Formats: sequence, structure tokens, C-alpha cells
Amino acid sequence: MPLLSNIKSLLVLALFAIALVGCDAGVPEPNLAPAKAKAAQCVEPTADMRKNHMKYLLVHRDKTVIEGIRTTQHSLNECINCHVAPTREDGSAVHYTDEKKDHFCSSCHSYVGVKLDCFQCHADRPQVMENINYQHKLSSNTYHLSAKNAPPELSDLLLLGQSQQAQGVTQ
Amino acid sequence: MSQINAYRRKFMAAVGGVAVGGLASGVILRSVEASDVPAKPADQPVSNKVRWGMLIDINRLTDGGVAMVEACKREHGWGNDPKSRPEQQSQWMRTVKVTDKLTQHSFTLPVMCQHCEEPPCVDVCPTGASMKRADGIVQVNKHICIGCRYCMMACPYKARSFVHESLTDQRPHSPRGMGTVESCNLCVHRIDKGQLPACVEAAPNAVIFGDLNDPNSRISQAVKTLGGSQIRADLGLNTGVRYLGL
Repeated sequence: MPLLSNIKSLLVLALFAIALVGCDAGVPEPNLAPAKAKAAQCVEPTADMRKNHMKYLLVHRDKTVIEGIRTTQHSLNECINCHVAPTREDGSAVHYTDEKKDHFCSSCHSYVGVKLDCFQCHADRPQVMENINYQHKLSSNTYHLSAKNAPPELSDLLLLGQSQQAQGVTQ
Repeated sequence: MSQINAYRRKFMAAVGGVAVGGLASGVILRSVEASDVPAKPADQPVSNKVRWGMLIDINRLTDGGVAMVEACKREHGWGNDPKSRPEQQSQWMRTVKVTDKLTQHSFTLPVMCQHCEEPPCVDVCPTGASMKRADGIVQVNKHICIGCRYCMMACPYKARSFVHESLTDQRPHSPRGMGTVESCNLCVHRIDKGQLPACVEAAPNAVIFGDLNDPNSRISQAVKTLGGSQIRADLGLNTGVRYLGL
């Protein structure tokens, strides 16, 4: 009888070990390349941003919506303009819900299992104009034209808020 | 009979008023000027010394405000949500045609959030999401909006809409998302930078935008000389959007 129970316990141990090995293989690999790419250019030190980026964003959002303070330092729009390219190299759009998890924010959030809800309302990538010759915003006031160098269309200028230029075109 | 006479008298008075308004406004209404909205430093909060307002001359709006609505759609990206039925689409601004049943005289005016001084939508909001900024702009703080839609019921101008579906690729300056209410916010993102609202730029000869609290601003001067009626003035909401030629 003791022998049988020993064998039983050994079997249980073996099964447990196999299960552990299975778990080990199942841990997802984090894709931190997008998050690390521009860490040095960030508005706050990397360690600070890792811990406190949500606090900065929460404070800034209330200041912006309620008081109309629109500084760029802790603005979500500026995070996106700098850290997210509107499209991948193959031309497909980058969204935070994509399976690839190569969106700057979701690359880390999916790994640690923290839900992202900013982008249910906010744009999760820089604005791409209806005119395909337009690329994306570089910051709040500068824009990047594609290599084709086609003049932007009037509607795009209106969208960009370059109203005076647009009015000049119409008059 | 006396009722009809009273009506005719009132109507003729109204027509006279419109004609005078149309003539006089030609003198004062010029194209929009950037100086109507002085640029505010980005790190300064808005102040209650300013109250933004808009004066729309309907006689000069040759298209009845269609261009203004289109400019709003482009600026904020509403009106083309892929899964919503037409009656579910957001409508920050719309054109309303008014016809006199007796004479068939009709005119069209653009209607959006009137930016009331005493906004009913703010009174009813259970979370404080529906709010009036210090400078008189009424808007939804979508961060704390729970989508109950009380404000939509309270608004006498039918100015608010509800987003029914999840959206992607919103305009970066105008976040919109499922489960929240939205409406005209006078293009806060533009005003804070010292720019005019998109609809005002689209109708430069028919609209004056500016600070109603500043007696020297063009809009205050225009309102002082020409008047400018509120829609549903009987409600006593003291709207920031005024009309000439109603």
C-alpha cells in the first residue's frame, strides 16, 4: 500500500510539473519595441512616465476640458503624435485594438492586462487627412507632407485649422 | 376677425423689422475678423470676463446655413457613423425651415446649441458632465458623462445627440465615443487658440462671432444697434447665439 500511494503521489507530481511547463510556454512575449523607441525624447523621465503617466493625463484632461488649458506637455494628443505612426510600413492603419499589439499604448497595456479606454473616444493615431497626399501631424502646429508633394486640398486646410490660408485660396 | 387683424399687424411689424435689419446689417456685418477672438496663452484658464456669442443674419445666409453645417461635420467628424441609422446619426447642427402657414413665406436658419446662460441641460445632468465653461460655452465633459440622455430631453433646441456605436479615427481635437452625449461646443479647441469656430469661417459675411461682455466688440456693437432675437426667448435662457431676420 505505501508503495502504491508513493506511485500515486509521484504521478501527481509529474502531472503538476507537466502543467507548469505548459504554463511557462503560454506566457505572452511583450512587444516593447514601440514603447522603447522614443523613450529618450519623452516629456518626463522614463521611470516617472512608467509609474505616473495616467496621473499626468488625468490632471491634464480636467484642466483642458473644464478650464481650457491646452498646454502640450501632458496632452494625450501629443503622446499619440510622437509615439504612434498612423500606418505600418505596409500601409495598414495602426489601432490599439489590433491583434499585433504594435500600437504604442496597447503593446504594454495588453501585456500587463490593464484595460485602455482612452481610445473609445480619443483618436488612437495621428490624424490622416482625407487627402491621401497628407501624412500626419508632427505636433500641434506642424504637419508632414508626403513625398508626392501634391498641394493639399482646400477641405484639408480647413481641417487642419489653417483657416487664413484656406480663405486666401477661396477669395 | 379681430384675431386675424391682430395677427396681421404683428406680422407686418415683423416684416418691417426684418427689412430694416437687412438694410442696416449690410453696413455693419462685414466678413469675420480674426481679432474677434483674441488668442489666449495656452497655460491660462478661461475667464468669466468673456462671454462668447454669435449673431447670425439669416437674410445674408444665402444657403440657409448648409455650408455652416458642412463645415461643422468636417471639423468634428459627425454625421457619418457607419452603423447608425439616419435617425441615429449625431447632429450637432441642422438647418430648420420655417414656413408661415398663412402667407407661405418661409426662411431657413441653422440651429445648434444656443449656449444659454441658464442651460437646462446643466440643471438636469446627474454627474456634472453637462457643463458651462467660465466663458459661457456649454459642452459635455465626456470623461464623466454616463450617457443617461437627460440633457437631450431637457434641451428645448434639440441640440444634443447620442453616439450609438463604437468609433475609430475620430478627429484628434474632437473626441467622440459610444455611450456619451455630444453637441456643438463652439469649437472650444479653436477658440482657445484664438481661431473662429468652423461654422463662422464657413459663412464669413453672415455671422459675427465675439465677446458679448466686451461693449466694444463687433458683436456687442451689432447687437446694440440691430437687436438680434433669441429662439424661444420666452424661456428666459439668455442664449449666446442670436439671430437677425427671424
